[in-house]
Amino acid sequence: MGSDVSRKLRYSATVTSGFLTHKADNLLSSDTYRKWKAARSGEKQTSVILQFEKEEQVHSIDIGNEGSAFIEVLVGNSSAVRDQDYEVLLVTSSFMSPTESRNGSNLNRVRFFGPNQLQKSTAQEKWDRVKIVCSQPYSKNIAYGLAFVKFHSPPDKNDPPTSSPKLTKLGQFRLKDESPSSGPSLQPGSLFFNRDNATKASASLKVSPKNEKLSYAAAALQAGGSSHPSGQASSSNSASPQPPAKRKFEFSKERQSAPVPPSSKKTSPAGSPEGKAVTPKHKPSPASTPSPSTSKASPAQRSADKKRDSQSKPEPKPKQQKAKPQSAQQVPFNRLMEGVVFVLSGFQNPFRGELREKALDMGAKYRPDWTPDSTHLICAFANTPKYSQVKSAGGIIVRKEWFMDCHKRKQKISYKGYLMDGAESSSESEMEVDDQSEEETNTKTPLKQERQVTPKKTPVKRNEDDEYGGSTDVDEPGGDGDESALDTEDELQRVENESRQKKAAVQRKVVKEEDPYGGSTDENTDAEAEEDHPIPELPDFLNGKHFFLYGKFPNNERRLLLRYIIAFNGVMEEYMTEKVQFVVTSEGWHDSFEDALMENSNLNFVKPSWIYAINERKKMLPYQPYTVVP
Amino acid sequence: MSKRKAPQESLNEGITDFLVELANYEKNVNRAIHKSNAYRKAASTISKYPTKIRNGEEAKKLDGVGAKIAEKIDEFLQTGKLRKLEKIRNDDTSSSINFLTRVTGIGPAAARKFFEEGVKTLEDLKKIEHKLNHHQQIGLKYFEEFEKRIPRAEMEQMETLIVGELKKVDTEYIGTICGSYRRGAASSGDIDILLTHPDYTSQTEKQPKLLHAVVEHLESVGFVTETLSKGDTKFMGVCQLQQSDEDEEKFLNRRIDIRLIPKDQYYCGVLYFTGSDIFNKNMRTHALEKGFTLNEYTLRPLGVTGIAGEPLLVDSERDIFEYIQYKYREPKDRSQ
Repeated sequence: MGSDVSRKLRYSATVTSGFLTHKADNLLSSDTYRKWKAARSGEKQTSVILQFEKEEQVHSIDIGNEGSAFIEVLVGNSSAVRDQDYEVLLVTSSFMSPTESRNGSNLNRVRFFGPNQLQKSTAQEKWDRVKIVCSQPYSKNIAYGLAFVKFHSPPDKNDPPTSSPKLTKLGQFRLKDESPSSGPSLQPGSLFFNRDNATKASASLKVSPKNEKLSYAAAALQAGGSSHPSGQASSSNSASPQPPAKRKFEFSKERQSAPVPPSSKKTSPAGSPEGKAVTPKHKPSPASTPSPSTSKASPAQRSADKKRDSQSKPEPKPKQQKAKPQSAQQVPFNRLMEGVVFVLSGFQNPFRGELREKALDMGAKYRPDWTPDSTHLICAFANTPKYSQVKSAGGIIVRKEWFMDCHKRKQKISYKGYLMDGAESSSESEMEVDDQSEEETNTKTPLKQERQVTPKKTPVKRNEDDEYGGSTDVDEPGGDGDESALDTEDELQRVENESRQKKAAVQRKVVKEEDPYGGSTDENTDAEAEEDHPIPELPDFLNGKHFFLYGKFPNNERRLLLRYIIAFNGVMEEYMTEKVQFVVTSEGWHDSFEDALMENSNLNFVKPSWIYAINERKKMLPYQPYTVVP
Repeated sequence: MSKRKAPQESLNEGITDFLVELANYEKNVNRAIHKSNAYRKAASTISKYPTKIRNGEEAKKLDGVGAKIAEKIDEFLQTGKLRKLEKIRNDDTSSSINFLTRVTGIGPAAARKFFEEGVKTLEDLKKIEHKLNHHQQIGLKYFEEFEKRIPRAEMEQMETLIVGELKKVDTEYIGTICGSYRRGAASSGDIDILLTHPDYTSQTEKQPKLLHAVVEHLESVGFVTETLSKGDTKFMGVCQLQQSDEDEEKFLNRRIDIRLIPKDQYYCGVLYFTGSDIFNKNMRTHALEKGFTLNEYTLRPLGVTGIAGEPLLVDSERDIFEYIQYKYREPKDRSQ
């Protein structure tokens, strides 16, 4: 891969618009140096929409500027109309500083954006429409736009490169006036503007497309400085000699194999795409949010805890303690909640901090927002935005008492008794936010509504179902038949029951090889789900195998897969590490797999159906029939 | 930021004082930072109001003063006091916690912890000194000195010394003393230095040596006297000017922070740490209106879908104003 001619430009867009001097199709004619200047001076923003002949993946983009201060590139599909229908491919990038804009200097900077500078997720998909948004808020005198733009598809495909642009015309090329605030839009005559710039532009375009490709064009921008522009053609020529320190370079793993010196067949201004990965977008480190309060807070809240305990009403759940002493004692306090990744919703500080602290003390992990790896949402009441979000994402939603009780008892209690479902069955018996200080400064949450004590619904562990029968309705396997994807609990329930049955069924076979009680499977089991089962252990079909789930999975498949893999004693890797042997994906072959294979030839790409099949047949199956192939 | 804000002086001092007290209460005791900010914003607008406020209705017209605060102003103007505040002052919990947070190293959370352990006063703290961390011990040791504000003249003296010593370590260092001092305040609570060096950018590795070299040098000349914490990019400690001759009164120990910031993020940092925080908020709001997002690290343009673009090249504070088309304001004009 990577060494063929395909580095050549394989498509570009043709657009027509019959009435402009600086027509939009100028952008694409590789042998002319005219440019597209849509915006009349004074407009703050303008955009051009280009249509590809067919859906393409964009690997890199070369942009030659014509007076714009900022340029952003979005992609979409033919149906896209509004801005919201587009996704950002190249974030708003700077081409001229305010000073340059006002002085009209450095109008024609050229920048090359490699794969690392494009938005990853967007760049991995195919699109057939591109929207380029230019803006120039700093000068009312420059008619601005683009000198040229080149899109390059990934170099490692085998489509025969076509030398002629196979670009269809869109028919109607839209010059959208995008700046609502900029007063009257297209005025009469506004489309006829300075042609006198044309010569300047060509100067800048005579750029040899070789090594410059490797340089980060921002270097040119930096070289230009904010105050002393060195002339318009500085652009890419001046770019390469920049000392590395000035470049925002960082070669990433994704680097394509040997860059092939591009042979510029045409005097195409942009030539070929860079072979090397250029700098990734410089992502300013987001304000790291240290949580100084956390460590300090814990003793405080522990004592606060004590206080609460003494105030709390009679504890309605003593049974748990005697019912389930074994598993609880084995786990050290600070690892009680290992594996739990939680998100909080609807709690106010300082209580919020205390709650988080408690959970962290017990080894849980905190996320400010719901992420794919989150497991539990701890919710104050049932109508927060996060509640709905997590509900639809299939996460587990529980009440705060889960943490409080676990923390107080110093043992892991199944979250099941604390589920927060529509029925506001809450056992808020103990504990209330200690808000003596909150008194008149209210905006208080509707907490009160769910504050009735319903002792009969007190949290009880799942595996005690048998003993406590009907009263612990939440856990009853009654919901088994219900397959509704939305109702996660039923779902989980079902899976669990299933696997329990299976376990029983499978046990006979397994017994031959292993003492069912000798192993230590429970240490690996999904914390909240399986740990409490004293029942026969799970089969170790996937023992010693490391998995990584790639991409998106429809519905709740991801969760289900996780459960199965973990249940069968496979190891989940959060990242694509060297340990990974199996990549499970439901998205089919992805180009990045090739790169991954280069790094780790032991990788196998498999479909989720493999895992399901193992579950169904209750034995290890060869993965080969389920591999994903290019 | 300093723990001690300079007292407000205005026609409506009574009002602003109780608002600030409420703000501190919300921040320290309730840890409700947004409520606290609401009070502070109201206090700030009222402090600039040119005439004496007669009633809540009048105050309500001002930015940041809503129904609740107006009510409190009415109560204060009519009765000369505020029940809520009286209650807070009489409440052992809040007054003790408020007091404890005045010790550097003790924040609202630690203060609550100590309070719940029965620690309420400076004497109580001294008794449990062994339980305090290093930072808190220093805070206790210099409690009285840190409470004293630093006169501008002394700040200037320290600035001269620091800038001079910086150049001795490496002429390429750039150091700026930020905070209210840079805004021209007559006195400051502490000294906050932003440091950068051309060798250090957000693209390079962290370079703790650049920071530590400066700190060690300042220690060697006897200016930095204690270290509270020393990380890769931030130093917190204590400093003291040496008296030039024996008769002179001894200088007090002062809190000093030194932050090392990548060169490309330096001016966003300087802007941020110069404040005031209310000015910062206003400036960020303006930036958003103009389609940019500004924080203490970077300025980035927003795209049509609201996604932030690449960090813009910023080589001075002025650049930031220019990008977002905001009239440049000298530091001294940034109190609001």
